[in-house]
Amino acid sequence: MTVSDTELTSLAASHDIISLGMLADDARRRRHGARTTFVRVANVALAGDTAQTPSPLAGEVRIVGTPASRAAAVERVAQVAAAIAGSRGVALSGFSLADLEELSAREGVTLRALLEELRAAGLELVAEAPFDRLHDARRSIEEVNIAGLALARLTIHQLPSPDPLPLLKAVADLQRAVAVIRAFAPLPRTVNPAVPTTGYEDVTRVALARVIVDNVASIQVDWSLYGPKLAQVALTVGADDVDGVSAEDDMTEGRRRAPLEEIRRNIRAANQEPVERNGRFDVVVR
Amino acid sequence: MPNITGLSERVRAGERLSGDEALELYRQAPTALLGRLADAVRARKHPGGIVTYIIDRNVNYTNVCVAKCNFCAFYRPVGSPEGYVLGFDELFRKIDETIAVGGVQLLLQGGHNPDLPLTWYEDLFRAIKARYPAFKLHALSPPEVIHLSRLSQLPVPAVIDRLIAAGLDSIPGGGAEILVDRVRKLLHCYGKATADEWLDVMRHAHRAGLRTTATMMYGTVETDAERLEHLLRLRDLQDERGGFTAFITWSYQPANTELGGSEATGVDYLRTLALARIVLDNFDNLQASWVTQGGKVGQLSLAYGANDMGSVMIEENVVRAAGAAYCMDEVEIVRNIEDAGFAPKRRNMHYEILGDPIFRERDVPRMLELATARADGDTSVPDELMNYPARSRAAKQLRIIPN
Ligand code: SF4
Repeated sequence: MTVSDTELTSLAASHDIISLGMLADDARRRRHGARTTFVRVANVALAGDTAQTPSPLAGEVRIVGTPASRAAAVERVAQVAAAIAGSRGVALSGFSLADLEELSAREGVTLRALLEELRAAGLELVAEAPFDRLHDARRSIEEVNIAGLALARLTIHQLPSPDPLPLLKAVADLQRAVAVIRAFAPLPRTVNPAVPTTGYEDVTRVALARVIVDNVASIQVDWSLYGPKLAQVALTVGADDVDGVSAEDDMTEGRRRAPLEEIRRNIRAANQEPVERNGRFDVVVR
Repeated sequence: MPNITGLSERVRAGERLSGDEALELYRQAPTALLGRLADAVRARKHPGGIVTYIIDRNVNYTNVCVAKCNFCAFYRPVGSPEGYVLGFDELFRKIDETIAVGGVQLLLQGGHNPDLPLTWYEDLFRAIKARYPAFKLHALSPPEVIHLSRLSQLPVPAVIDRLIAAGLDSIPGGGAEILVDRVRKLLHCYGKATADEWLDVMRHAHRAGLRTTATMMYGTVETDAERLEHLLRLRDLQDERGGFTAFITWSYQPANTELGGSEATGVDYLRTLALARIVLDNFDNLQASWVTQGGKVGQLSLAYGANDMGSVMIEENVVRAAGAAYCMDEVEIVRNIEDAGFAPKRRNMHYEILGDPIFRERDVPRMLELATARADGDTSVPDELMNYPARSRAAKQLRIIPN
């Protein structure tokens, strides 16, 4: 089903979030059925404890932080890669592509050379490409691919304007050009705490993302960033993949409140079927 | 879903569903359909697109409680060093702060403290009304009224009459939890009020001319059929007396409680709210519980049947004790209402419109975090407590030897 530009404009301006959500849910179910994937992520800091072993429950080990230098980034990747070498099925991701663009410019190397060096050290996925922070989104994402890495997700750092349509159309255009974006997280990673986005805005943005960015397989929502309540509602209006589920199965609050049980319970309560995946989008069977 | 289609059409046509029909709809209908139907009911009842809110303060005058409900993280037992009773002067100060931001009432509830006799409440209400004649007292949920009835050995209607004479304006619907005795026994709240007793207090209050609200705390041990039974019991009493102004539902908050477990999900909240809007066809108003669901799902409630954003919370203690601490001041509530396409209006407890947002009429301070009943570590005992007889040994000692 194609939705015309006029229809999109009126959907975006409408307060009828239920109709928009139903449209997006139809699109999502045509593609994924009732299946909702989620990934358990163990974050490791760039400047963190070198002896730290990431949780064996993680499907993705993610190096977080802004690299101070190329050498430090490569060294940290090698350390973490060595630490998880025995864990098959775990994907090692790290870095924001925007930070890597800046780092390569600062150190006078090409982005491709930097990416290849990181790959040689053991990196598999660039953790995120913040669309609005990239200098040359198309070229940089292509470099990721050419360097033999994959992109874990396209994200939005901060909303450039309250109108969601131009940005979402630009993301769809980008995917038409690069065709390697597996997941898109349409909610901003950073919001102004004095004027946070509202529930209506978030639901509208997720639903429109599913309808407009119809060439990206997964619309993703971040469990830890947005919290279970909004993230679960997002699953009913077009999102089909959950990022950022903790890999620490802390049972201190009881089994039902442990992260794995909580995510499964929330997905089922949204009338969907939870499927754990790893960073490569392979189904995890434990 | 042939039957769901038929039931949906009947809801759209404004017909009442039986319990079995409503249960089938709740179990079978997709969330979006429930939302659509609830929204249609809301739009029929509130065609002007107005969403209301009240500026008031939710004050818990004591946390000492003998009821010991196992879902409650707020209470402290008699004699606990963390137990408190607020003094009249502290309450006056809270009222002054409430009036400063345009507030019109106190929502006053507390634990079942055996050392606060009925006369303490009467004196407090009279003192408040003497200082603030126009200020409203939305106070004492049905289990507190029953507690006072037991403590004073007076029948419930007599307690209500005395409280009205002292200044009580309306009764909040707290303590209803789920109005099914099987559930109440499991939650250890059967002793504080059975389902019939809770409803009887409301019946007496309505007879005495008071308007009240009704609530439901879901997500503990009840079945979906029991959730529905709760709604039907409220609907029946509303048919009989018509005294309820509004219905408010929220999910059980498990942190720091004896019962423990996990909280019902956001989608469950929206479905339950929508069910309530469909079943409670004789209630005019449904509040969004952003205090428990957060601002975002709270705002989404407006698409699932709610027409009221509840209270601009200046203070909150009970839900916070169980782990939720969301805060929205008037500016934020109004922004959320307008962003959802509705017109915000201030109201009083009777849901009469008082006007447009107060911050657009005059400068009011922003409130970016909730106040608490007492500052941490404040263990002071109000002087006037010495004037009232205590029942517990701990309080008797304290009142003989003031600190
Ligand atoms: S819910 Fe109310 S009655 Fe029950 S223990 Fe808590 S304060 Fe006491």
